[in-house]
Amino acid sequence: MKDRLAEAVKQSRADYTEIRVERTWSSAVVFRGRRLETATVSEDQGGFVRVLNKGYGWGIASFTSLDELPRMVRSANELSRAIRLEEPIRLADVAPQTADALLDLDGDVRGIPLSEKKQLLDRYNGAMLAVSNKIVDTQSSYRDEVSEVWYVNSEGALLYQLRPEVVVSGTAIGRSNGNIEKGLESIGLRKGWRSVQNFEDQFRVVAQRAVDLLSAPRVRGGAYPVILDNELAGVFIHEAFGHLSEADAVYENPQAREMMSLGRRFGKAVLNVGDNGAAKGLRGTLPYDDEGTPTQDTALIKEGMLVGRLHSRETAAKLGERPTGNARAISFRHPPIVRMTNTYIAPGRKGVGFNDLIGDIELGVYACGAFGGQTMLENFSFTAAYGHMIRDGKVAELVKDVVLAGNLFQTLDRIDHIAGDFTWNQMGGGCGKGGQFPLPVTEGAPHVRIEQALIGGDV
Amino acid sequence: MIDPLIAAARGKVENGDALWRREEQTAVGFESGRLKAAGVSEETGLNLRVVAGGRMGVAGTTAAKPDFKALVDRARASAELGEKVELDFPAAATQTLPAIPTFFDRTANASLEDLIRIGKQLVERLSRPDCQINVAIEREVAETAVGNAAGARGAYRATGIAVTADITRIAGDDVLMVYDQYVGADMPSDADIEALVRSVETRLSAALKVVAPPEGALPVVFTPAGLAAVVLPLEQALSGKTVLQGSSPLAGKVGERMFDERLSIVDDPLTPGRPASRPIDDECVPSRCTPLVERGKVGRFVYDLETAARAKTQSTGNGQRGVFGKPHIGYSNVVFRVTDGIGAPGRDGGAQHAAPVHPLGGGLLAGIADGLIVDDLIGVGQGNVISGAFSHPVGLAYRVQRGEVTGRVKDAAVAGNAYDLLKKIGAFGNDGRWLGARWSPSMLLEGVSVARR
Repeated sequence: MKDRLAEAVKQSRADYTEIRVERTWSSAVVFRGRRLETATVSEDQGGFVRVLNKGYGWGIASFTSLDELPRMVRSANELSRAIRLEEPIRLADVAPQTADALLDLDGDVRGIPLSEKKQLLDRYNGAMLAVSNKIVDTQSSYRDEVSEVWYVNSEGALLYQLRPEVVVSGTAIGRSNGNIEKGLESIGLRKGWRSVQNFEDQFRVVAQRAVDLLSAPRVRGGAYPVILDNELAGVFIHEAFGHLSEADAVYENPQAREMMSLGRRFGKAVLNVGDNGAAKGLRGTLPYDDEGTPTQDTALIKEGMLVGRLHSRETAAKLGERPTGNARAISFRHPPIVRMTNTYIAPGRKGVGFNDLIGDIELGVYACGAFGGQTMLENFSFTAAYGHMIRDGKVAELVKDVVLAGNLFQTLDRIDHIAGDFTWNQMGGGCGKGGQFPLPVTEGAPHVRIEQALIGGDV
Repeated sequence: MIDPLIAAARGKVENGDALWRREEQTAVGFESGRLKAAGVSEETGLNLRVVAGGRMGVAGTTAAKPDFKALVDRARASAELGEKVELDFPAAATQTLPAIPTFFDRTANASLEDLIRIGKQLVERLSRPDCQINVAIEREVAETAVGNAAGARGAYRATGIAVTADITRIAGDDVLMVYDQYVGADMPSDADIEALVRSVETRLSAALKVVAPPEGALPVVFTPAGLAAVVLPLEQALSGKTVLQGSSPLAGKVGERMFDERLSIVDDPLTPGRPASRPIDDECVPSRCTPLVERGKVGRFVYDLETAARAKTQSTGNGQRGVFGKPHIGYSNVVFRVTDGIGAPGRDGGAQHAAPVHPLGGGLLAGIADGLIVDDLIGVGQGNVISGAFSHPVGLAYRVQRGEVTGRVKDAAVAGNAYDLLKKIGAFGNDGRWLGARWSPSMLLEGVSVARR
């Protein structure tokens, strides 16, 4: 395959040409309630060509038929030459990499019979259903894949990567007297079969929570001191800051660049944030991104100050900074764009725990778990799975519908305490941007306290 | 593709159906007002479902020259683990399929230059010194063929084009994002482009001034875009699958008045000129219009073949399938029909805007002493949607005082329950329009919770 791609690159008449070919083996099992929905094995394959000519724009072609590769290279070149640019697109230098990068398959999912995968999911699904007769419905899914990715460009890069992934998730729906609530467990790993065993307890816990939420009141709307648990703190930093640190949000926009100038203070000195695509064994981990750039640990906020951002080769060249290995595509159907990998809030002082954060809060909210988050850059949402009121320094009653409204400039700066209890939260699902969803990412954080944050609800 | 695949499956399985689809897309992208990228994509996929040993299995492939035998074998292996099911595959049609225009030569034949010209026009019209404008244009030409072992066949071609304009205005630490889209099967007319420009301009100019948000249980006008959070729970609850699983709040309520009696909603795959329209669904069921809500009463739930078989009813022609999964329930065009009011898509059904663009609020502001217009909410779909409860920070919202828009509000969150709010709708706007595959006017809803910092 490498030779075939190298030959196609050589035949290209464009100034710069890159080709990415993927072959993905995957299997999936889905339960709804007690009933199996599907158990399937699939193979998907296709290619992506992107070319650039000096003074012209990007020409792009994606396709499922590899026999068409030479035609698609020509087609991408024609598209590029149809776009005349006054200010040329430049790519920051990256030393061409040549490597076979095989991530640990950790129990190759391709060798496990589909029936065993069905049994595994049946156990997790059954564990949720067995919690209570108030659990009326479940949606459980198991999905694994092993993706082979070849990447070749006209600068001499020649990469072969083997990327495994396995995701197990379950939603339990509880119902009584017209109330409906849900609990969600989701485990996503860039690993294999061995890593997804023995999670029955976690699935039971979320089903029990769906039942408990049936009799919980909605949180009252308003501004509160809020403590985020590790999971929600991770989603928070991804939405609150991660997306704006993606350089394509600012590189063509002078006002945005000014707003996000390096050295600007965004938080108090306790706040340290980064993105690490090279971290070992996480779902967002990749040896090389989809432009062939090695991944790295990139500091974004250091002691409250903006110190870095995430780049593709194009955004790095435009801003005179270095590529960080964050150009990613969800598949051969899409071009690489600037994305996060494993984004984290670094732990606070060792020994600082949850009790140190909650002690002096008279009335507040402990927001836990994550149903999701979304950003419009300055304003963003992060939706907790559930919450507890904090009363007189203690965790009090369960509350539901806890959705936080964040503001980039106010919420980050109101983080006043960060615990030392850091964990990576390897959830399934993923990040969506520019029509590309779900991209595997990981978030990591300790417990985080926000002096004041807005929560929606009746006032 | 369909005939040889069905032939390869014959004798190895009791029954089955298949879908073949080929899609070609052409896209151009303007970033910060500059045309920077153009792309094409070609994709072909084949999806097979079988019933073997009374059990259902599926398999799919994107291979250019699919190995039919291997695909059948994989579907059979999938069926070995599958559930027992008695599917009532539609027989060969005795009547011709409904004739609806889904393919427009103008769209299929539009050149790269034609697409670029539309983009340049938008960039020119919408450029402002303090704003960044991105424009994306995507044109798709698709061919679909479906067939089953009972002899039913269907095939059609379709075109689609989406023109998206989004503007970001950053002033100091204030970030404002305004976005709108034309989506159609036919190319946008000059009037469509004009409507898109004016829609963006109207919302942008009213947003330049930032005012403090109000607080309390207030009247809120949800624009067609802002309505998403309110409509999503209904779409989930009206799915036959949710009903069958026991998690739909509307289960057992057919014929009962659950909503304001002026509200009717249909699923209409026969609207001319819409990209989601089609003569036949992905399971060979001829398309028809399904009343979801009729004058406030729950009408019919939507079904695919499998869910219908389990619920002992008929498919409503809402089977959709991709290359790899099994068919599932999906809506086509969700159309709000306002009884005794202004609305329903005009005779030109497919056009984006039923009329020239309207001022913000759809004529619903007059009686509002203090309230909001909600045009965009953040995080829609991420809460406990099926319960009807929603709570979201505002993405784009305006304060209304004494019947006038006084400015944009930030750092506010709106919350409510769709079922409670839709029981009594304050009024319907005169600004009905398509937004993707949904047609609706603005709606004034009373007593929506607005919280602020």
